[in-house]
Amino acid sequence: MMRRTFVVLALLFTAAGGFAPAAQNAPAAALPGRPDSLKFAVIGDTGTGGRPEFDVGQQMAAARAKFPFELVLMLGDNMYGRQAPQDFVEKFERPYAPLLQAGVLFYATLGNHDNQSNRFYKGFNMGGERYFSYVKKNVRFFVLDSNSLDPPQRSWLDEALGRSQEDWKICYFHHPLYSDAGRHGSDVSLRVALEPMLVKHGVDVVFSGHDHIYERIKPQKGIAYFVAGSGGELRRGDAHPSAMTAAYYDQDNAFMLVEVAGDELFFQAVARTGTTVDSGVIHRQARDVRSSQ
Amino acid sequence: MRNHAAAAHHVQLRRHHRHHATRAVHHRVNPLLGLPLGVILALAWANTVPEPYFRLAQSLAFVVNEIGMALFVGLIMQEIAEATMEGGALHSWRRWTLPLIGAAGGIAGSAGAYLAYVTGRYELILTAGWPIACAIDVAASYYVLKSIMPRSGMLPFVLLLAIVTDLFGMLVVAATHPRPPAGGGLALLLVALGLAGLMRMMKVRAFWPYLAICGALSWLAFYREGLHPAFALVPIVPFLPHEPRKLDLLADPPDDDTVHHFEHEWNTLVQVVLFFFGLVNGGVILKGYDTGTWGLMLAALVGRPLGILAAVGLAVIAGWHLPRRIGWRQLVVAAFAASSGFTFALFFASGILSTGPVLAQLTIGALATAAGWLLALGIARLLRVGRFSRAS
Repeated sequence: MMRRTFVVLALLFTAAGGFAPAAQNAPAAALPGRPDSLKFAVIGDTGTGGRPEFDVGQQMAAARAKFPFELVLMLGDNMYGRQAPQDFVEKFERPYAPLLQAGVLFYATLGNHDNQSNRFYKGFNMGGERYFSYVKKNVRFFVLDSNSLDPPQRSWLDEALGRSQEDWKICYFHHPLYSDAGRHGSDVSLRVALEPMLVKHGVDVVFSGHDHIYERIKPQKGIAYFVAGSGGELRRGDAHPSAMTAAYYDQDNAFMLVEVAGDELFFQAVARTGTTVDSGVIHRQARDVRSSQ
Repeated sequence: MRNHAAAAHHVQLRRHHRHHATRAVHHRVNPLLGLPLGVILALAWANTVPEPYFRLAQSLAFVVNEIGMALFVGLIMQEIAEATMEGGALHSWRRWTLPLIGAAGGIAGSAGAYLAYVTGRYELILTAGWPIACAIDVAASYYVLKSIMPRSGMLPFVLLLAIVTDLFGMLVVAATHPRPPAGGGLALLLVALGLAGLMRMMKVRAFWPYLAICGALSWLAFYREGLHPAFALVPIVPFLPHEPRKLDLLADPPDDDTVHHFEHEWNTLVQVVLFFFGLVNGGVILKGYDTGTWGLMLAALVGRPLGILAAVGLAVIAGWHLPRRIGWRQLVVAAFAASSGFTFALFFASGILSTGPVLAQLTIGALATAAGWLLALGIARLLRVGRFSRAS
């Protein structure tokens, strides 16, 4: 009887995330916090207005006290359900109120749940565009609308990537080119359309959401891929790690902190509870080395 | 001796009959095979080794969807043009009205159900796909209905309804092509029309000069104006040599020398195009189903039949008459026979949307509307209509 009770309790504890398979190779916080570096946070699939989104918002605000990031990348599905003006308050402005009040800028991309008209919402800093790029320090960000990769968007990306002279090129869009999640997984048709361009122009890192887990993929053709789609939604236990998985966390909501310092990009994935579930560093490769791979 | 001659004649007659039967079966089955074969191959390929499949599909997409499909659209337009000529089945406007009303009801029902579903799920990105929800697979609805009610007055009714619906969809797709205009197309189109008119005046009977010269110029004109170039043959079709036809699409005798129809001469090429169209557009990773998939199925399998039945019902109350010897049970079966979008839904999807997850989920929905064929057969059996009336 005692043994059975113990087994049941152990199972319940595990299901609640007590001994959840936190990402492998997850040392403690590893962001150097250099004064001249670019610091930003990454969140995806957030806009529920539910408790988990508020908890993540609080953890982000707490993290910012030690790691003063100046911008947040939003990976799409920034709003779920109804998207009337009041919903922008309940599903965006209130959960991230401390960050917004501190002057942190949010730069969003559109997911499948976002109204296309949300690109005009000032808080998302999209300038009314479905796809756009912007520069922060030595990094150029390319923001795409992966819902539909139409010919004008492809031409724009090819040209914008080719023109970019910044040290780092970081792309983000909603649907992942690589993912081991069970519900959606890798979007291979998008990958075939996009990846050659990303490789040709030496993109360093790609962030996506859509799958409601955190996952770091082993570098593919010289590019580091992250799935960070559990900022508000969560599909617990949806990760099915494969040979391409570097680390994953699917037991609780999570967000990312990133620091670009010179030729190094440091990252840290943080769970809703504040626990670090993954961290590491990516070294930028010289463009000529990348293009010869 | 006489016995020997009679036996030889008998053998010759049997060979002749067998030859004609084979040709007829070949001609009736052939139009249905190219596209589904391509789709089946694409689905198997995309769900086993997706990367090579998508690489091939994306490299062929432009040639197949924007050049090859011009032949398919041209063929459909030729069918319609000939049917509306004097002596053609659609020449009398009276035959049009009730199917036209049914088509309007079907469009309203399918588009309404689709839009209600996707907006109810707050996925407004999917609303652009509403014309896909309206599409009806002309050939499939014809053959499904024919297999249930071989000589019914519902056959031309359903064909008219499907053609009108798809014409409407084509107009929407032509105007919503995701490519910006480059200009200069209008002048090219005028040259194409002028040359086609000249050929017509010179009584050029062969099709290929119209297609190769005028069609190519018109294609360039459409492309440069940002219109879907698959519709490039539409303005050229009225200049092609025409002969009136009964409304028995895809089923005229293939070896009748007096019949000089476009599809008899271009059938093989169009079948090759449709095979590649299925191969290029039908491959989708089945895990990609989502809200749009269910929206399309709801629109096709529920919204359209209900829309057709409601519109025709109101028309009958207002004084229109159903075709002779047709009752409500037959009409219900016909409405479900027209539920599948398949070929035309795939075509509209490829015309409106670009690579991405929205296209993927709607492609799965377009393919899944093929369930309407089974639904029509099941309802015919339930209502004991046509060949199922004898089962009792």
